[in-house]
Amino acid sequence: MTSIRLTVFLLLVLALVAIIGTLLPQGEPLDFYLARYGNSAGAFLWRFRLTQIYYGPWFLGPLSLLAANLLACLVHGLPQALSRVSRPFTGEVAAALPERGRFSWPAEVDPHGAVVTAFRQELGRPRRLVFPDQEIYLVECGRFRPLGPYIIHLALLLILVGGVLGKFWGLTGSLALGQGETAQTFVKDPRRPEQALNFQVRLDRFQVRFYPSGVPEEYRSDLTFLQDGREVRRAICRVNDPVSFGGLTFYQSSYGAQPTGPIRFKVCRGEDCHPVEAPWRRRVELPGGQAQIIALRLEGDLQGLGPAVQVAYKRGPGHPQIFWVSQNHPELAGKPGSPFWQPDEYRLTLTDLPFRYYSVLQVKKDPGVWWVYGGFILVLAGLFLAFFRSPQRWALILKKGEDGSWAGRLLGSAPRAREAFGERLTRLKERLKKGAGS
Amino acid sequence: MISLTLGGVTLAYLIAGLLFLGAGLWAAPRLQRLARALLWSGLAVHTGALLGRWLQSYSLASQHQPPAGFGELVRLVVLQAPLSNFYESLVFFSWCLPALALISFRRRLEGYLGALVATLACLLLAYASLGVDSSIKPLMPALKSNWLLIHVATCFLGYGAFALAFGAALLHLWQTRRTRPELPGRALLDPLIYQATVIGFVFLTLGIITGAVWAESAWGRYWSWDPKETWSLITWLIYATLLHARLVKGWQGRRIAWLAVFGFLAVLFTYFGVSFLLPGLHSYLT
Ligand code: HEM
Repeated sequence: MTSIRLTVFLLLVLALVAIIGTLLPQGEPLDFYLARYGNSAGAFLWRFRLTQIYYGPWFLGPLSLLAANLLACLVHGLPQALSRVSRPFTGEVAAALPERGRFSWPAEVDPHGAVVTAFRQELGRPRRLVFPDQEIYLVECGRFRPLGPYIIHLALLLILVGGVLGKFWGLTGSLALGQGETAQTFVKDPRRPEQALNFQVRLDRFQVRFYPSGVPEEYRSDLTFLQDGREVRRAICRVNDPVSFGGLTFYQSSYGAQPTGPIRFKVCRGEDCHPVEAPWRRRVELPGGQAQIIALRLEGDLQGLGPAVQVAYKRGPGHPQIFWVSQNHPELAGKPGSPFWQPDEYRLTLTDLPFRYYSVLQVKKDPGVWWVYGGFILVLAGLFLAFFRSPQRWALILKKGEDGSWAGRLLGSAPRAREAFGERLTRLKERLKKGAGS
Repeated sequence: MISLTLGGVTLAYLIAGLLFLGAGLWAAPRLQRLARALLWSGLAVHTGALLGRWLQSYSLASQHQPPAGFGELVRLVVLQAPLSNFYESLVFFSWCLPALALISFRRRLEGYLGALVATLACLLLAYASLGVDSSIKPLMPALKSNWLLIHVATCFLGYGAFALAFGAALLHLWQTRRTRPELPGRALLDPLIYQATVIGFVFLTLGIITGAVWAESAWGRYWSWDPKETWSLITWLIYATLLHARLVKGWQGRRIAWLAVFGFLAVLFTYFGVSFLLPGLHSYLT
């Protein structure tokens, strides 16, 4: 369980499963797979849960093994790492480091100032230990490096725990609200009864602003939360700016337009025009009885050209034709190739399009989020320790000779960063030599 | 104006690449210095062009809606960072290559390695200028977040560092059969691959984390298995494998170089493949 070979194998397996998950459409209904891959292959994919790959054994299996692997390594290695970190850098430890250079100072020169300066410029403030026969200057960096990998691994476990908490104790749903409406429930799963809120939400106002190109610029919902009919809090919910209340968080996720009454068309055949009233998504006969239309969709601002209705138009036995009817630009109906083109001899123009926007909010509770965020912070801390704090230990042992001159021995090691160590050593020696006589 | 400047930068990278190539072929230190100076100048002008585009994008947005007060002004500046569509991301990606190479490799950036970096930057920039719509479009609501700047910047810095590791890995693999004296030695390339991978891994981790935090504030889901997210995770797993193989098992040389190559293929698929082949939340990038 603590084998790194298993880790590498699992990492690659997870990568492979994830690749399959991106190539095979996920989370579609069974019919989709039967139609796309044929009956037997589609049924196979469905049966073996390849269509929900991230939530089934294919992904969660190796992931659980990886979590066990990480935990085992943590339990196995952390005590060792902790004891390594807590072992102080003492004079004896320093004396056991490999020797890197020797220096001597003549009797009339006091080396202490030069040594401290050189160390400070290259490595940082040294610690000084004074013994009867010698003095030792010590510098240690990256002492906590051994904890880095374990902090990363711990953080990854925290993130997984957060994911599990969110999966089992969290909830998500959605809420569509028209202006002025109040909701006491929200949709958790379209096939099930709605979930009750223990408060009410009212949409006081919904606003959409568009760029001149017709792309939405901003939309926002002005919400009021009520408890037993009493207003408790007002808040503005925008995209990227959610609102929390009563343990749930509301996200502005999208919006739609919906008619508030029948849509009225003027339908002409040459000079012969009649008004036609079309209830929403109902089939309506056109005058003369040779064709029918259904109003399918409504957009408040289609391609920057203002409100428009999408209509399915059917004449005779063929497939229905689908086109948009623009309220402000009826002339587009004669433009072949545009989405507004009306191919047949009937001409539809809008005379009345009463509509309002409704707001779609995502409703969510996720007790795991803080675990995940905690994991994120720890991952970054661990990466910093693991990759940017390579351990280095330096010592300079000074001894005074009989004649008053000083001899110094430079010791040090950096098992994980030989190259950087070598460069530092060269520079440090230069500096010490400059201070020393030889 | 900016596209003309970027054209000049493309040319500068091209020439710098050729000079590096010449320096590698004839072992000419003066050519080496000239190439590096040209790469630095190209990078400086490239930086200027990025800032110019930022200013242009900001002034368009502030004409549409002038900021009221200093706080809004700062926010608008952050939002209008030139990182919000495919063209801008390509220009920034190509900026990351020489920037990271010059800063993290320093004097070791020479000869063939320099030529590879400069050529790759040149190709990316040329593709951005010739093949991609460069118009400035107003931001859609989901992109209006302070996380946009840091998320995109960290992701692309990560991609850039992985590209460097890839370049070094290619040179490494190229001379496995026999040593080529004109190439940087394998003993030099090995730490370069590792170093660039570490930088890339840290940036990619930051990119994934900032993306998750952003998604949580925009949609209430820090992870939704969108194809781009999933592919960035795949990339992350491959590089985590590389780092473990090297740090724990002490792998070196060829095998690490191959992992760096596979990792970069995953990066390329995350960046281009997903945008063009797999639909999802990130498809506005195209
Ligand atoms: C993300 C960045 C990661 C870094 C920098 C990292 C770093 C390390 C390092 C340095 C070691 C060696 C520990 C030692 O020698 O004392 C190690 C071991 C290991 N890592 Fe990671 N790791 C990372 C992510 C992961 C991930 C994502 C996994 C799997 C989910 C993982 C699983 C392991 C395992 C199982 C070991 C073996 C531990 C042992 O044998 O004691 N690591 N890692």
